[in-house]
Amino acid sequence: MSKKKNSVYSNYSLLIGIILVLFILFICILSFIHIPYAPNEMNISERFIKPNSDREHLLGTDNFGRDILSRIMVGSRTVLLVSISSVIIGALIGITLGAISAQFKKVVGSSIMRIIDGLMAFPGILLALMLVTVVGRGIAGSIIAISIFMIPTFSRLVNSMMLDTESLLYIKAAKSYGSTNMQIFIKHFVPAMLPKLVTQFSSAVGTAVMIETSLSFLGLGIQPPNSSWGLMLSEARQFFLQYSYLAVAPGIAIIITVLGFNLIGDGLNDFLLKRRS
Amino acid sequence: MLNYLINRIKGAVIVLFLVSIITFMVLMILPGDPAQLILGTEATPDMVKDLHVSMGLDKPYYMQYGSWLIDFLRFDMGESYLYGESVSLLILNCLPVTLSIALFSMIIATLVAFIFGVLSSVKKDSFIDYFSRSIMQLGTAIPSFWIGMVFVVFFGLRLKWFPISGYVPASENFIKFLKSITLPSVVLAIGEFGLLLRIVRSSMQESISQDYMEMARVKGLSLISIYFKYALRGAMVAPLTIIGMQFAKLVGGTTVVETVFALPGLGRLVLTAVEHRDIVLLQGLVMFITTFVILITLVVDILIMFINPRIKTFERGE
Repeated sequence: MSKKKNSVYSNYSLLIGIILVLFILFICILSFIHIPYAPNEMNISERFIKPNSDREHLLGTDNFGRDILSRIMVGSRTVLLVSISSVIIGALIGITLGAISAQFKKVVGSSIMRIIDGLMAFPGILLALMLVTVVGRGIAGSIIAISIFMIPTFSRLVNSMMLDTESLLYIKAAKSYGSTNMQIFIKHFVPAMLPKLVTQFSSAVGTAVMIETSLSFLGLGIQPPNSSWGLMLSEARQFFLQYSYLAVAPGIAIIITVLGFNLIGDGLNDFLLKRRS
Repeated sequence: MLNYLINRIKGAVIVLFLVSIITFMVLMILPGDPAQLILGTEATPDMVKDLHVSMGLDKPYYMQYGSWLIDFLRFDMGESYLYGESVSLLILNCLPVTLSIALFSMIIATLVAFIFGVLSSVKKDSFIDYFSRSIMQLGTAIPSFWIGMVFVVFFGLRLKWFPISGYVPASENFIKFLKSITLPSVVLAIGEFGLLLRIVRSSMQESISQDYMEMARVKGLSLISIYFKYALRGAMVAPLTIIGMQFAKLVGGTTVVETVFALPGLGRLVLTAVEHRDIVLLQGLVMFITTFVILITLVVDILIMFINPRIKTFERGE
């Protein structure tokens, strides 16, 4: 009885997650087709219009009279571009390093895993902050910083999964047939690891969105005039004591995105655990 | 047990060594010329050369690294280019702020996580279980800078319960000190309790399903003493480890919150160092914070080893 209920809940989190992520993707795609106003168009006579008070600006306008809805829509491109591409880069490097270290356990493997341990020891966004200082601000800087941040989790995951899987009979059988390491990796390890990797990928995108918006909020990520939700919140800081609505829309956009990717990750994880047992 | 202790300390020392190499490489070698990075593009060659000599950049890398590491071990991290003061002094001034909000927020997060974690594992699939799982998800998805801004408007501006920014040292006025760190700590706690709640819930569930719990029930002990005296004690180890890790992580992860509430802590110092490309300050800060974090994690692990009999027997069995 309780098991049945439990699986319904896990499907719920997967379902809600997918709906939220689809919603953000829809906004992002829509921004390429139609935006109500040019996101950087300033109009001093239309400053600080409250949401939906004049029926023209659904989410109001900011301190420069720019339409907030348009900026949120364009900002979704930046957030998704930075977070998804940095997770892809980080995952590819991480998976490669993890696989290499599982394959060559002795000197190469253990030294790679040691370096990964070292990277993991930097708490919070300290590593990202340090990297941003060196590689510079902006979209490219954020992507580099976040992708390096993502490497350790993926390489640890792949390393431990490969060490678990390699003693299984079918891998040994493949080896005795004379398959090369590369063939075994692609044909056998990757399919076995894929579910876990997809789960990890989804949660990592949630984390990446959080880091990107934090960096932009601190003024170290996306630079104006580009639009990013974190940057919008940082610009709203000067005025939100009088005009608190400025902070509402970007904040909710971030929550929806992070929550969506996290829920997909969690839901998938539960789903896979249940299927295995 | 002694073996475990030695291995654990050895591991920490190796990680610290690697951290120092990574920090040195990222900040001193990767940018090409740190002096140029500090001075910016308008610097004249003479200025760059002077800074080279004063930072010791004219020596080979390994000598630079060696002298930097030895100085760091003596808690001498050089002089900040921006402030003109010693980095160690700057860090010591900022440390109490960050430590107090990290500690306070960990207390809040622990209380919330244990209350909801125990309740939701005892009453599995009830309303309270769904409620705590929902706030757990929301807590990790809410950006701290956003909830910080919301709190400033609501509790600071509308209700006027707490100051909207600034820090009052505990030695000056304890009540004002508590008020000045409450909002930032709550904001940090919101980001942290989700993971802890998850761990408490799962280890409580495991502990409840043990045989000795059935025994306690058969003996007719009251539910409260069953859950809080027996189940919770068995379920303490994993959460304690996580609490240690999270506290350590918080010491390095307060930049955003300290910015929102204008607190003069380590995180703000990191941000200033990054903004003004004060490499010496940043290098010292990153090394100090990371060392601090690794040491806390080490101490927590050792403490847990003394609390948890399972690790002891496990080690003896090996």
